Amino acid sequence: MKKALGIIGIFAAIFIVACIFGENFLTGINLMQLTQRAALYSILALGASLVIVTGGIDLSIGSVVCLAGIMTPWLLVEHEWAPAQVIPTVLLMSAFIGLCHGLLVTRLRLQPFLVTLCGLLLYRGIARWMTGDQTQGFMGEFGEVRAIALTKFAIPGIENYRIPSTVIPMIVLAVLIGLFFSRTVWGRWLLATGRNESAARYSGVPTAWLVTMSYVACSLLAGFGGMLFIFDIGSAQPSDFGNFYELYAIAAAVLGGCSLRGGEISVIGVVVGAATLQVLRNTIILVGLSSQLEFAVIGAVLLVGVAADELIRRFNARRLERTGAAASA
Amino acid sequence: MKKLISLVALASLGLGLVAAAPAGDLVQAQKDRIAAYKAKPKAKSHVAFVSNGVADFWTIAKAGAIAAGKELGCDVTVEFPGGGLGDQKRMLEDLLIKGIDGISVSPIDPTNQAEVLAMVAEKSLLITNDSDAPNAPRLCYIGMDNYDAGLMCGKLAREGCKGGKVAIFIGRLEQDNAKRRRQGFIDGLLGRTPDPTRYDEPSKVFTEAGYTIVGTWTDSFDRAKAKANIEDVMIKHPDLALMTGLFEYNSTLAVEVIRQTGKEGKVQLAAFDEGADVIAGIKEGFVLGTVVQDPYGYGFESVKVLNAFTKGDMSMVPASGVINIPARVIRKDNAESFWKDLKAKLKAGKEAGAKK
Repeated sequence: MKKALGIIGIFAAIFIVACIFGENFLTGINLMQLTQRAALYSILALGASLVIVTGGIDLSIGSVVCLAGIMTPWLLVEHEWAPAQVIPTVLLMSAFIGLCHGLLVTRLRLQPFLVTLCGLLLYRGIARWMTGDQTQGFMGEFGEVRAIALTKFAIPGIENYRIPSTVIPMIVLAVLIGLFFSRTVWGRWLLATGRNESAARYSGVPTAWLVTMSYVACSLLAGFGGMLFIFDIGSAQPSDFGNFYELYAIAAAVLGGCSLRGGEISVIGVVVGAATLQVLRNTIILVGLSSQLEFAVIGAVLLVGVAADELIRRFNARRLERTGAAASA
Repeated sequence: MKKLISLVALASLGLGLVAAAPAGDLVQAQKDRIAAYKAKPKAKSHVAFVSNGVADFWTIAKAGAIAAGKELGCDVTVEFPGGGLGDQKRMLEDLLIKGIDGISVSPIDPTNQAEVLAMVAEKSLLITNDSDAPNAPRLCYIGMDNYDAGLMCGKLAREGCKGGKVAIFIGRLEQDNAKRRRQGFIDGLLGRTPDPTRYDEPSKVFTEAGYTIVGTWTDSFDRAKAKANIEDVMIKHPDLALMTGLFEYNSTLAVEVIRQTGKEGKVQLAAFDEGADVIAGIKEGFVLGTVVQDPYGYGFESVKVLNAFTKGDMSMVPASGVINIPARVIRKDNAESFWKDLKAKLKAGKEAGAKK
């Protein structure tokens, strides 16, 4: 929780600015759409954080989003598979991709950066080749399958805000991952592996197996996220769908308190990190800033926020040192 | 270090040479080559069609190009750059290395692609399609006038919506066709005297003739972002009267958002291109209509003109340098017949793609 305080502060600051200056920011429908976007990106970010905690990186998230997302309508519409066949196939394929990454990293000892960079190129290439670069969409059908991501649950007593269905898998995943790290020995082993892999291995921790499973989980969540994204958007073009989503996922994870050196994670922080990016993008439009400034504003706000967080941390650490020294004297 | 200095010197000399050759000279040089072909026509020419991205639109254009190649007995290479400017440049360079006889390209950013377009003109024959590069040494442009098409879309919007707030959504604004299409839309909507040289700043909010243009939003082809843009603008302006999506997927996503928010009939949509959902929306009656181009014609005419060049024939190029393939408006009454014809062409495009 402590690690997440910084990003929660940044989130709160942006939220307050959006409430004051953003037109209609606090309306039910806007908050509902924001919850939907935050949930979708959080799922990718949670996956990314599982690899980052091992000290690795997964650059292929966007391409796995693309391949899984494109394959879903492609199998449903073009190949007329049943939804009950398509969903498990796409998820299994995503998990298999992760397994390949994990084995290449742990058994062949290749750099995670390199393995997943090749994956980034490979999976997008396959998606483009498979579909002949055609846009894939549901052609106005499969409403019942798309409902997985499009259903909104009413809350008694609240009129305009309804909870998007994507929040459910996001919360389930966040809770499971949170419990995994705080309540299971496997979680502690994974943290130990991230902090010092050799030390963990010599202590009898099955590091290779744990790291491999992290990659499996990351790709599985990317594939699952890709499927939810396509259910939400309705159609996608293989050449650009999911481009740079790995960067949003990694940024959310790191902002949320994961260290790129490994060994640190904050599940709440990751979810808030993903939400922060989406609230910021929404605020830029509602405040009426030029859309050309979007990336500049995101970059500047996050940089200022992270720098302020670091300075406050150092200031507090120094104050603690001083009070500690005074107490011992 | 010496090597580096000589490399830099050589590079600047090369750049200097390209910069030193004015567009007019390169056009003349190409015409001279075509004149030479008259004496010695190419038995079997090899021409290329290069798009500005990847989309169903281009698959239809590909079907046209391949069909023309078959009819005229020439080899046709079709390239779709998926990675933007850099990718298009690489593809053009590779085609030149291959010794291609002529290239029809839809330049992504003509102003900043002056060097590579000049290089094509120098080593092959250059024409443009879909999006023009009027200052480049191109022999002709095949396509519609994007300003006129925008004007059509604006007039369509004006007919269906008598005033109020208007939002514009477009993939990106760098390319010539996007700028002209957007300006045409604004001028048509506001009932101004057509003037393609006019330019309203995308960030400017202004009210004229009863309409308030609240802004233009771009998304760099990220569909999730494009959808979020539409949702956010509808939140910021709950009284939005009309919107337009000037690229195919912008309109498709606008239909999607209108459906999801239950705003059918409350927010009007004047669409562009032939997305399946847009056509469905027109048939259902909550989309005013859509302005469609003829990508099949772009592909077919491009190959036909380039092939004629390699036989020494320039008679197809009018004095204006523009071979116009006009856009048309699809409304409720002609939506069904248009859709059937389109499906047939798309199928032909896919089959051509599978054989290539």
